[in-house]
Amino acid sequence: MRTSLRQRLLGWTIGGTALLLAVFAVVVYAAIERALVGGFDDGLAATAWAIAASVKEEPGEIEVEFDEREMPEFRSPDRPAYFELWREDGRILQRSSSLAESGLDRRESAVGAAAFYPLALPDGRPGRAVILRFRPRVENEQEGEDEREDESAAAPLVVPQLITLVVARETAGLDRSLAMLRWLLAGAGGGTILLTLLVASLVVRRGLRPLDALAARIAGIREDNLSAALPEAGMPAEMAPVIRRLNELLARLEEAFQRERALTADVAHELRTPLAGMRSTMEVALSRARAAGDYQQALRDCLSIVCQTQAMADNLLTLARLEGGQTVLRVQDVRLAEVVEVCWRPHAPAVRARGIAYENRLPGDLDVGADRDILAMVLSNLLANAAEHTDDGGRIEIDGRSAGGTAELAISNTGCRLTPEEAAHVFDRFWRGDAARADTGAHGGLGLTLVERGVAALGGSVAVRVDGGVFAVRLTLPSPSAP
Amino acid sequence: MRVLLVEDYPPLQKAVAKGLREAGFAVDVTGDGEEGLWYATTNPYDVVVLDLMLPKVDGLTILRRLRADGRPCHVLILTAKDTVADRVRGLDFGADDYLVKPFAFEELLARVRALARRAYCAKNPALRVQDLRIETPTQRVWRGKEEVHLTPREYVLLEYLAMRAGEVVRRMDIWEHVYEFNAEADSNVVDVYIGYLRRKLRRPGKPPLIHTVRGRGYRLGGGE
Repeated sequence: MRTSLRQRLLGWTIGGTALLLAVFAVVVYAAIERALVGGFDDGLAATAWAIAASVKEEPGEIEVEFDEREMPEFRSPDRPAYFELWREDGRILQRSSSLAESGLDRRESAVGAAAFYPLALPDGRPGRAVILRFRPRVENEQEGEDEREDESAAAPLVVPQLITLVVARETAGLDRSLAMLRWLLAGAGGGTILLTLLVASLVVRRGLRPLDALAARIAGIREDNLSAALPEAGMPAEMAPVIRRLNELLARLEEAFQRERALTADVAHELRTPLAGMRSTMEVALSRARAAGDYQQALRDCLSIVCQTQAMADNLLTLARLEGGQTVLRVQDVRLAEVVEVCWRPHAPAVRARGIAYENRLPGDLDVGADRDILAMVLSNLLANAAEHTDDGGRIEIDGRSAGGTAELAISNTGCRLTPEEAAHVFDRFWRGDAARADTGAHGGLGLTLVERGVAALGGSVAVRVDGGVFAVRLTLPSPSAP
Repeated sequence: MRVLLVEDYPPLQKAVAKGLREAGFAVDVTGDGEEGLWYATTNPYDVVVLDLMLPKVDGLTILRRLRADGRPCHVLILTAKDTVADRVRGLDFGADDYLVKPFAFEELLARVRALARRAYCAKNPALRVQDLRIETPTQRVWRGKEEVHLTPREYVLLEYLAMRAGEVVRRMDIWEHVYEFNAEADSNVVDVYIGYLRRKLRRPGKPPLIHTVRGRGYRLGGGE
């Protein structure tokens, strides 16, 4: 299951909003309920204290001065309130006429403090009650100016008995208000969530629009317009790094495509010339009847073209394998002088015949850690190059030394006609110096390219320098101890 | 007709030169741009077959120098560069034709012949001088209804004279357009071959075709 950025953003927004709203609603409801119930209870308590204030104890007698007629709610035939008064011994002192024969529930409570509780009213309606346990006022006969005398007389003190009062009233109004509050909160919350969903989906869609635009642009990229970079301008800052990376990727792709196109063009060009040579040789040979020797010559010419082309194909293949990293290296300790000796042997007679001096100062014990085959390919190309381009009567020198974890090999030859600018191109594929252009050699402009890639595969480096007609190659290869 | 071939790939150079010579062209050959430029500026070639990628001096530079010097020779670029941009550049540099390697040798030959004709403002591949008829593509010659069999050297000489029919052609011109640069022998060879041609074209009762203009040269047809 693919996760959608849009759905995830919406989900988290809505979920978060709903949770916040719920917490908010609960807090608000609790606060308002507390205030409403508190107000209701205050009313109950006020009525209860008013009734309690009307109870007097005279010696031997408790009198309730409260007159129901002053508070018609206790007499109302419709939805009345209730009260009931008990003596300390549990006998009923008085009850509201609305109670008729029924009674009210009592709860335990502290003396002098009002306690509130919900209850079912005698007629079944939900209600709320306050219970008050108090000692009534004591009324003495000798009141007023005789008070001081009474004190001194230390008349026996009347301890009033504990009276219990319960006042109950229906809570329909309160319940209605609370129900309305609940609905209001739920409705507002639900509405807010719906609106949030709407706004958030709009915002998310708008916010993700650059992604869609980017996708459309990426979809529009073809092999032939890779260089058209994706625009960073107008894109949100968060996408800039993505676009930058994408552009870098595109640039690398473009480079690879260009390399491939260049290679194809190069190869096509390099194949056309020998093909033209072969075709013309055959067509001219066939254009009229000839002696057998002429045909043989034409065949020999064609054969030599085929051999050169085959060598070029082999070189290209080796190159492709080196560049593609498909060559499996078998690195071992190789004595440099031995490989140089083997690679030089085929060139020695011709070079000697041309009066070229060959001086090999390579130390006999200089070893490198390398793949023997690739090293031989590299050296034989370099030595062939030197043998080919040295002027008659010129000089070829080979030297080497060990230098801190690496081995250096220098091959130089006289008779170089390259300018330093041209020398910078010697490793380019199919590049040929002017002197070598007409050359029919088997390297076909790939020899030094092979050298460079081969040395790179061996973990070494190669550099050339042209100075005063001397072409000098410096090879750096890993020593055997090097990893 | 004299052709300069500047091509640095030896097998192709060898085959093309051989084919052109067998087709009756006098061919000078070089594989080097510098040498090619020297040949082209010091000899009156009818056609130059020019490769583009050459050592020392590249083909386009040779072409530009030839045009800057006002050389009228016709240039055919023969190259492996095949893009439209390459062809357009070559023609815009002043080339008269462009052929991409590899090519059919017959086509190269036909194009070189066409360029050679153009050098003498001749559009018709069949040349006519009085009752002499020359078919240049097949190199066959008739006088009246009778075919005249010529050796390649005789044919080349006759074709050159026919291209400039009615004009007095200097012996030096003939020498320069019919013979290769390093051809041995001297310009007397022209007189010898003129003699051969006269003998082969002579028909009893018909006026001679080749006239000697004393002190100046030869003329095919025309005149008194």
